[in-house]
Amino acid sequence: MNPPIITLDNLAIGYDGQAVLSGISLAIARDSFTALLGANGTGKSTLLKTLLGLQPAVAGQIKMNSTGGPPVFGYVPQAIQFDPLYPLTGFDVALMGVFQRVGPMKFPSRAEKAFVRECLHATAADDFAGRKFSQLSGGQKQRVLIARALATKPDILVLDEPTAGVDVAATRSLLEFISQIHQERNLTVLLVTHDLPLVKKHAQQIIWLHNGAVLHGSVAELFTPERLAAIFEMEVG
Amino acid sequence: METLKEIISPDFLLRNSVYTSVLVGFACPLVGVFLVLRRLVFMGVALPQISSTGVALALSLPLWLGLKMDAGSEHTEHLLAFAGSSAFTLAAILILAFMERRGRGLPEGRLGAAYVVSAAASILLLSKNRFAEMGWLDLLKGEIITVSNFDLALTGGALAFVLLVLGLFSKELLFVSFDRAMAATLGKNVLFWDALLYLLIGFTVSIAVLSVGPLIAFGFLLVPALTAHIFARNLKVFVLLASVLGGVAAFLGFWIAYAWDLPVGPTDVVLLGLVYALAAAVRGLMQLAAKQR
Repeated sequence: MNPPIITLDNLAIGYDGQAVLSGISLAIARDSFTALLGANGTGKSTLLKTLLGLQPAVAGQIKMNSTGGPPVFGYVPQAIQFDPLYPLTGFDVALMGVFQRVGPMKFPSRAEKAFVRECLHATAADDFAGRKFSQLSGGQKQRVLIARALATKPDILVLDEPTAGVDVAATRSLLEFISQIHQERNLTVLLVTHDLPLVKKHAQQIIWLHNGAVLHGSVAELFTPERLAAIFEMEVG
Repeated sequence: METLKEIISPDFLLRNSVYTSVLVGFACPLVGVFLVLRRLVFMGVALPQISSTGVALALSLPLWLGLKMDAGSEHTEHLLAFAGSSAFTLAAILILAFMERRGRGLPEGRLGAAYVVSAAASILLLSKNRFAEMGWLDLLKGEIITVSNFDLALTGGALAFVLLVLGLFSKELLFVSFDRAMAATLGKNVLFWDALLYLLIGFTVSIAVLSVGPLIAFGFLLVPALTAHIFARNLKVFVLLASVLGGVAAFLGFWIAYAWDLPVGPTDVVLLGLVYALAAAVRGLMQLAAKQR
């Protein structure tokens, strides 16, 4: 396994100083495909926000091991969260991916715009990138958002339930695509999802939040019938 | 047409009022676009009213402190009003934005209360102030008649500053408005950009209120942006269309008001309302036609 890009050391996460989950110690390997699993209310979103730096940890440490400064997160939020009032095209949304490199009082250069078009092409979103983002289907929006994340030139691609509101066929194609870019670009992927069959097919590592515990291991380790039975027995019982 | 020729003539007696009106018409929709996109329309109602309370209070201060304000102190009076308007608007927008971020209570209730209390306070303050008789009540009602060169320069300079800042930082302001989380993960200081946007909104509102009064300021903040939103295919079109609509409506409103001896501000707002209704009807017909195809 590759060396870790993120190490969580006895981390406690929560709100207003109150921990909802504590004692989290694990490492996410560079270039790995890790799935973050858990039912609603188990702390998935809180852990994700803490990793992304959107809220402070209650206790413990997050160590980022990237070369040349803090790692860049290519964050792909849920498409349904965006206000349809914004008259932005798919291209406008994807262009936001370069805003970190283009400082204040400057505007994206032709080269940056060309790079965004490449990212849209890579996610097969170039055909509909000129249309209003709010009028795209769930799967199309996700492709634009992944293109935006790729445009950040990320160290880690973080996808927050990218298949929410997306039909079965589009979900399958989206996950195939994420797997493909993970392999082609040696990209570290952290995927938050509920979908066990898709996780089994695509992910290498799993972080499973369950009843206040954090289970971490490979798909082969956690997806054994015995472990799954134990987990779901705990849920039922 | 004679009236139009008279208005655009450089010797027109009320030319500064035309210029001020058009400047406000062009500038207000630029920040109004953000009020609409961030669903802060009620803030757009409350802020001009709070701003006018600041004007009323600032103009009452010399009276309370026993300072003499004679007829020659017009610039001082205007600067005082500008200071009162800006201080109240900026303080109010920062407090309201902070409470909005905390996510507690009822935002519409807070804005409604701020609106009604500040409207009442403005009337109370001016009813006991002799300066009210010298034109400020007219201003607060939206009469745009006498604008000195100094007032025009102040308005023009302030709005040019707003335009410059909006232009230079439009990318950041849009980014934190559309996707705060992504902006934060990419290291953008979302609190700073939010504060800058709110300050720009507050600054524009205070200038607009001083120039055209609270009712008209709100009209120019909201209606051009709503009208432009109906047809905007992208953000650039949205912003430009809203601004041009505001500027053109301000000019046409002045022309109509001058020709028919009507108050300028209310004429502007009613004209904007008619354009909005027409645009909505055209859009409805277009959608109907598209369905039948």
